Formats: sequence, C-alpha cells, structure tokens
Amino acid sequence: MSALQAPATPPALMRTWTGRDPASVVRMRAADLPGMVSLPVRAIDPSLPTPIWASDPALGPTDVSVVRRETIAKLQASDWSRIQPGSTVNLIANPHGFFLCGEAYLVMLEETQRYLVATRQCTVRLRIAESMGHIENPDWMRIYDLRNRFGDAEECPQIGRGVQIDTKVGPFWLTRDLFSADHFVHTHVAEMREGYLHRMIDRLHKPFGMAYTRLETRSAYHFGWGPRTGQLVARAVFDSDYVQQRYAGTIVLDTTPEGVIGVDADLDLDAVNARITRGVLRHYGTLMRLMGEIKDANVVFDGHGCHMYAYGGGIAFDCLMYGQVDFLDLDNLALLKGFASRLPETPGLTMEFNPAIKAQIMNYMAGGVPYTMMTRRLPTYLVEGEAANWLIDDPASPWLGDRAHIMPDLPAAVAAARTATGTDHLIVFDSTPGALNMSESLGRFLLERAPAVAEHVHTHALPKWLAQRGLS
Amino acid sequence: MAKVVRMVAEILADKCTGCALCVYVCPTVAITLRDRRPGEAGTHRRIAEMFESSCYNAQNCLEVCPEEAIVMHRLDEPFTVGTDVSTADAAEVKALCRKAGIPGRGMVCMCAETTGEELAAAVLNGAHTPEAISLATGARTGCTELCHQPIIALLAAAGHGDLPRNPPRGFQWYGIAARAVDMVGDDGTAPDELLQQYAQFPLASDLRVLQGDFSEFES
Repeated sequence: MSALQAPATPPALMRTWTGRDPASVVRMRAADLPGMVSLPVRAIDPSLPTPIWASDPALGPTDVSVVRRETIAKLQASDWSRIQPGSTVNLIANPHGFFLCGEAYLVMLEETQRYLVATRQCTVRLRIAESMGHIENPDWMRIYDLRNRFGDAEECPQIGRGVQIDTKVGPFWLTRDLFSADHFVHTHVAEMREGYLHRMIDRLHKPFGMAYTRLETRSAYHFGWGPRTGQLVARAVFDSDYVQQRYAGTIVLDTTPEGVIGVDADLDLDAVNARITRGVLRHYGTLMRLMGEIKDANVVFDGHGCHMYAYGGGIAFDCLMYGQVDFLDLDNLALLKGFASRLPETPGLTMEFNPAIKAQIMNYMAGGVPYTMMTRRLPTYLVEGEAANWLIDDPASPWLGDRAHIMPDLPAAVAAARTATGTDHLIVFDSTPGALNMSESLGRFLLERAPAVAEHVHTHALPKWLAQRGLS
Repeated sequence: MAKVVRMVAEILADKCTGCALCVYVCPTVAITLRDRRPGEAGTHRRIAEMFESSCYNAQNCLEVCPEEAIVMHRLDEPFTVGTDVSTADAAEVKALCRKAGIPGRGMVCMCAETTGEELAAAVLNGAHTPEAISLATGARTGCTELCHQPIIALLAAAGHGDLPRNPPRGFQWYGIAARAVDMVGDDGTAPDELLQQYAQFPLASDLRVLQGDFSEFES
C-alpha cells in the first residue's frame, strides 16, 4: 500500500520551563523502531485544504509570511472599536497555540499587538494562560524569547490570584492577572483537544470555562455539570458583565491536522466560532472516527504533552482514548463513566477508556495531569532512565512507579507490551503533525478502513453533526 | 487510595525575595514567611520557610515562584498519606457524601485516587479545612485542580463552608463555583428561563442524567 510512508521524524524535544532537557536523556524515538511506518492524514482524507503554514515542509510552507498577511487583513476587517486610546489591553495566549502552531501563532500574536498599538493607541501586554500541566511544558517564554518580542509578557497560572465574578448560573473565579487590564483580546487555535468535554459546542468559548479560570471553575467544569453541558460554564462566564466589559475581540488560527489553513478574527465570538466549528468538524472528523475503528493497539507516548494531551497526526490522544464513542454526535450521551459508576457500560451512553487500547508505553511524556487510573487496568511500561524518574516523581501520578514495568529500553518495552497483549498494532503520539507514526500492521488496517470511514463521515455523520449545532 | 510523596521542596535562600506567593498557593500550608537570619544568604528582609513534613510534592510553589527560588528534591524514603474509611462511622460517611452530592465510592481526587468516602471520613475525623483534608488524605496535592470543587462542597455540607482562608490573604481556594445541581428545583428540573437562555445545551436532559434518570437513553 503506497500511501504508507517511511516514519515521519517527530519534532525535537524541547527544554522544559523547569530546566529539564528531555532530548539529552531520551535515547531513542519511537519513529526509529524497526517496522514503523507513517500514515499521512491526507491519505485518509484527501479533501483537506492545503496549509498556509506547517511546521514540516512536507506538509506546507514553513515560511510565516502568508500567515502574517492574513493576520493583518483579518485585523483590518475586524471591529476593535471597544479599545479606547490610552487603554491597556491583555492579549491572552495559551501554551497550546505555541505547541501546535509555533511560529505561526507567534506571528499572529505579534501582528495583533502591532496593529492594535498602531490603530488604537493602546498598550498591549502578552498574558499566557497557564493550565494544569504547566509542570513540564516546554519553556515557551525562553524558547520564543517572549519578553523581548512583546515587551511585557507574563505567564498567569491557574493557581494564581483569582477574581470572583457573577454569572447567570452563579459565581465563578477567573485568573485575575489575565483580566487586569481595561480590555483583553481572546486568541486561540482551532483543533480537537478535549472534544469529549466541549463536544464542539461553543468551542472557541471554552477557555472562558477552563484556561482563563481558577481551580474552582475548572473543577466545576469537569465535574459539576452534565456530559453535554460543561461548556455552559464557558458560555456563562463569557456572557458575564465582568468579561463583556473587558472583551475587545477574538483572533484565531484555523487549523487542520497538517497545519494552519487560515486566520479568522471577529468581535462576534459566536460568528467566528460558527465558522471555525464547521471547519474543525469537516477537517478532523474523519481522522477522529478512524480512531474508533481501531480494535486493538498498544500506545507509545513519545513527545511533549501529558497523556491525553499528547499529540500525534495533529490530534490529541484523547481522540483515541474515548474514540470508541462518537462524542461529536450529540444524540450520544457519552457520559464519562465517573458520573455513573454503577451503570452497565453501554457504547454511546457511557464512556470509559477505549477498550481497544491494550497497553501503554512511556518513552517520554510530560507530567502534570492525572492518568494513573488507566495504569490500574492496562499493562504500562516505562523506559528506564531519567525521563521515567520524572514521571514517577510527578505529583499527579504518585502510583505510577508501583504499577509500571520498568524496561531497559524502548524496543524491550514495545516487545513486552506485544507479548502481554498479543497485538503488534502500535500507535505513537510523538507530536508529529499531519501523519501518525505506527506499526505497519496497524497502518495497513487503518488504510483499508479509511475510505469507508471517510464516506460515512462526509455523507452521514458530518451533516448530522452540523445540523445538531445549527450549522447546516 | 492514598498519595505516595516522593519529593520535597527546598527554598533557595539566596534567590528568595519573601514575596509570599508560595505561601499563598501551597495546598497543605507547608510554607510560611519569617525574618531572614543574620548572615543568611539573600538580600530581602523576609524569606520563605518550608515545613518539610507538610510538603506533599504538589509543586504549586515551584510553579508560582517568580524568582526560581524553589527546587524539588527526591526523598530518600517516600512516605504514604491517606485516610482509612473504616476509621469513621460508615452511615455518617455515606450521609455526608450524599449531602455534598459527591460519589462515595467513586474517585474524586484522580491523582491520589481518593474516593468520596475517604474524603468524608477525613472530615468526620476532624479535618475541617481544605488543607487539613489534604494533609489527611493526600488529595488536592497532585494537579490540585480536579478535586478542588468536591472537597470544598464536602466541607460546606459538613458545616464548615464559611471558614477563613489560611493564610488570610492566601488563594489556595476561594469558594464553591456554580454547579448544575444548584440549578435544580424541587421539581427536579431547572427554571425555564435558564433552559431557554442556554438552549444550545441539553441541560434538562443532562440534569435528569445527573440525578440518575437514564430512561430517555435506555428506551
């Protein structure tokens, strides 16, 4: 099958903000395992638009000049009149933007700052909404020299000082430093992270219920609302007087699993959300549903991002972790099992970890997010060395060291997983965009299944998803 | 379950400026400020001091410190903290979980894998603040986020909802953020105005589910 290609080289591992240098301790990348191939996302869905920017020249131009031009054009076409001369504006960024779109995201931020300063005679400061998982993020402040490039740039963690706001449904707490200005500009990158939570309803509003908020609000978002209603928190916060008095507009990079396909900006967040949602459902849907076709596979984590936030082929591991259920179909309750532990597991009704995942192998992975409940049920293998020690010491995974098998090297870990689970299907989440690195056997299987999945998505699922969101 | 504590924080005296941010975010209140001693490295009058036995490796201090004045060290002998449910009256434990609206046997802290019943047992055993619950169970010292709301709600249900923050200017926690259950009236549903306001969400249906009524899906 010619569509399968040689393994794609994953992005280099970067120094974390805690000073750790994973590149110096990880001895082998999963892409270098024998028998690996890459499955290009374009082979699954040839209808994907061509990127205007990609981190890999095989996927699109790596030069940011088109992104810069599109950003300026969209800034000029958007209404920024809420910003008064002499006012202060917080340009709110997020680590996922740097992680997924790198220089393209940076250019969008830079041009936005430059444009607003020039046209609105205001002061624009960069404020980065740090989330759970900051514990081992790449050090974006230093990697992109953000203080020099933006003048005033600060990271604002979710554990920082809060501000209480009133909403139609009750109180929530936001991260005060993100909003301590006359106005703020909301920035984002379109992608399918945490789709099982936001269900692509109010996708671009989600940071108002999560990334821009304090611990209290985040906890309530996760566990205080129903399986299709957590996003109500984001909507309620966005609609609050506190936020609306400060909100000045939105600018976002539109993406596919390969890279950036456009820039969008609007004062009307609902309008830009509707445009982005159409694109995301269309451009990520086939790949996501293809994840649901996998019947058995061992997973290798081999990049930045902690567990469900590890990426491969432009999608997060959570797309596979809950891939057995089409959670984009709102007819599916897709209730996280934690809400209904005594119910029988009914596909579409309740959602447990995807039973197709048979074992997990951690070659390199960031910490910061709890995932060890999966290690209760799955054979888990850690590749011996300092990177494994970082995970064992991680505050969010205190039992990992007691449950994982420590293997001398990556090939031994993969072999042990294969022996334990009986499958030679291997899929890698190593931050590679546009293609998933995997074993040839799994690549052949997915390539065989892809046409039927694409046909189903484009003729049945996608129209339904769009109609359910009023986007037909 | 419980938490295995494998690391402990150390304050670097020469870098610490005594800004107190670490004091304000530690979930187990393991850090305080004191005057810098004569001859001690550093230039500011005040310095943070760590009580190592209360440090449960949450690393909030590490994350918030603007001066990179905190480092983590592996413990030679990791220790385990947790609360045994059987140390409290079983009926009272169940009643408190029900009143707080948290799952008894379900995992509430995903990091320490602490159940609702273990948290309730800690409260009934005398842990009447978020930090006391954390010290007794290890919960809220991993990601420090996901279990935050249920723990505050549990304390409120036990009659400890209006306790002062420790330290007074700290922001380890604020209060109870709005939840779906707070919207439910005696008739088991939310007010019509709210349902209409957020019509893009299947709120009424989800509220039924949260109350254990799955009939519309089972049919």
